[in-house]
Amino acid sequence: MKRQSMALLEIENLEAFYGRARSLHGIGLEVEAGSIVGIIGPNGAGKSTLLDSILGLTKAKGDIRFDGTSIVGLPSTKIVRMGIGYAPERGHLFPFMGVRDNLLVGAHTVPKDAEKNLATVYGLFPALKSRERQETGTQSGGERQMVSLGRALMSRPRLLIVDEPTIGLAPKICGDIASALRRMNQELGMTILLTEQNVNFAMHLANDIHVLETGEIRLSGSAGELRDDPQLREAYFGN
Amino acid sequence: MINVLIQGLALSGLYALLAVGFTMIFSVGRVLNLAYGVYIMLGGYMYYTAVQVLGLPKIGGFAFAIASGIAFGVLTYTILVRRLEDNPVAVEIATLILAVVMQSLIILIYRPVSKSMWPVVQGVFRYEGVFVTYNLLVAMVVSWVALAGLLLFVRYTRYGRAIQAVSMDRKGAVISGIDPRQMNLATWAISGALGALAGVFFATYTQLNPSMWVGPLIVAVAVVVVGGIGSIIGSLIVAHIIGFMETFTTALIAAELRGVFTMILIIVVLVVAPKGLFGRSEL
Ligand SMILES: Nc1ncnc2c1ncn2[C@@H]1O[C@H](COP(=O)(O)OP(=O)(O)OP(=O)(O)O)[C@@H](O)[C@H]1O
Ligand SMILES: [Mg+2]
Repeated sequence: MKRQSMALLEIENLEAFYGRARSLHGIGLEVEAGSIVGIIGPNGAGKSTLLDSILGLTKAKGDIRFDGTSIVGLPSTKIVRMGIGYAPERGHLFPFMGVRDNLLVGAHTVPKDAEKNLATVYGLFPALKSRERQETGTQSGGERQMVSLGRALMSRPRLLIVDEPTIGLAPKICGDIASALRRMNQELGMTILLTEQNVNFAMHLANDIHVLETGEIRLSGSAGELRDDPQLREAYFGN
Repeated sequence: MINVLIQGLALSGLYALLAVGFTMIFSVGRVLNLAYGVYIMLGGYMYYTAVQVLGLPKIGGFAFAIASGIAFGVLTYTILVRRLEDNPVAVEIATLILAVVMQSLIILIYRPVSKSMWPVVQGVFRYEGVFVTYNLLVAMVVSWVALAGLLLFVRYTRYGRAIQAVSMDRKGAVISGIDPRQMNLATWAISGALGALAGVFFATYTQLNPSMWVGPLIVAVAVVVVGGIGSIIGSLIVAHIIGFMETFTTALIAAELRGVFTMILIIVVLVVAPKGLFGRSEL
């Protein structure tokens, strides 16, 4: 049953466990089709756990619906095939493969579109084209982040999930990543859910922001609303 | 001297083929398949049964051998290994027990005596004091063709890349929509096929007997340990080190000692360079 005004991704009362320890305590949020949603929060807040849970990589309870279909408990490969792309923390690239082969693995589920999508990725990140053969294990953090985003893009997902895209990167590179993400959203029509510790980066890019702390959502709102929120200013900007 | 070199080269080719199936499983699934020697033994016995008992043509013998290797590899994975996946030690114990069980089964069916196999190709190549059996030369060429095919498959096909991806980063593979179990299964099937193919030539090079799975397993373990576990090219290089070492030992010292040096090499490398000489654990 599909409702009329349904968000692309709907999460309700999500809990996640590592062994017996619970690290998400009833998360709820929605991601509207076409939007960019940012999740900000400090180290250990549960950002990566939340994203992993959407991809079916943790032990999770609760409800996650993608395009109206419940995906909790489905195998990760199936979730990917439904149209979710993931650029996880630390990339999880294939270090002894070249850039091009890394990207091609990303097209595993859509072999017919591999060449076309490769051209799209090189269009977004021209720097990768000139290093097609370089093993990603020998690349800089910025290049690896581009490969990671590119690989997630290779299946042309409807929802792109990105974990801390700017971590450890120089400001200039952060700008490149931000404009690439914006182009993916506007030109390729991709919905984006991302996490950040870099609050400014997230505020700059996202329509909606959720603040995650110790496994719970503390605060939600549009980027405009939260920018002036006294609670948030105190926690993240120190004034 | 030239003779020893050519013998060494041919034997090394065979060893490379022996080892590579074992290497692949380690690299993709992170487990040592101690039943690997059984694929080799099975290849030998099935070829023998098809050609020397049933009188089938040689090509039928190869088909029979390879099919049984694939079947046994797939069964080992689905029945045993998949259930123990998170516990490498359990996999190693279980596969070792499986090897011993298979040895008993072979004794039961084929009697505990050695059987000699007809060479796949008759005759001896002689030229200026060089002599090598055609059988060993053919084994070498078949090894090279099989290994080149494997390398091309792994590097340049979609499934080959997916297998590599699982070996390098399992989570990265999963989020690309690849099912690691499917790739593991494919790897075990390929490994069974390569082992059985190598087994046909190994059995014609030595003899068929129910404990013949041990020697090749030691070679395979040596290749993995010495090579730094996993890369196909690294395996080829180490297979040649071991092949030449054994040929020289046989020619210059005593044939009885050749396996001993391989085992000493394993231990020395474990102590001196525990990550292996080429130290990388991906395909
Ligand atoms: N593999 C794991 N096993 C056990 N506990 C874990 C594991 N991964 C994360 N945790 C715990 O779950 C909680 C949330 O961690 P998570 O990595 O999701 O936070 P995060 O917000 O992504 O932090 P960071 O900004 O450092 O990436 C933490 O308390 C962490 O210790
Ligand atoms: Mg994290």
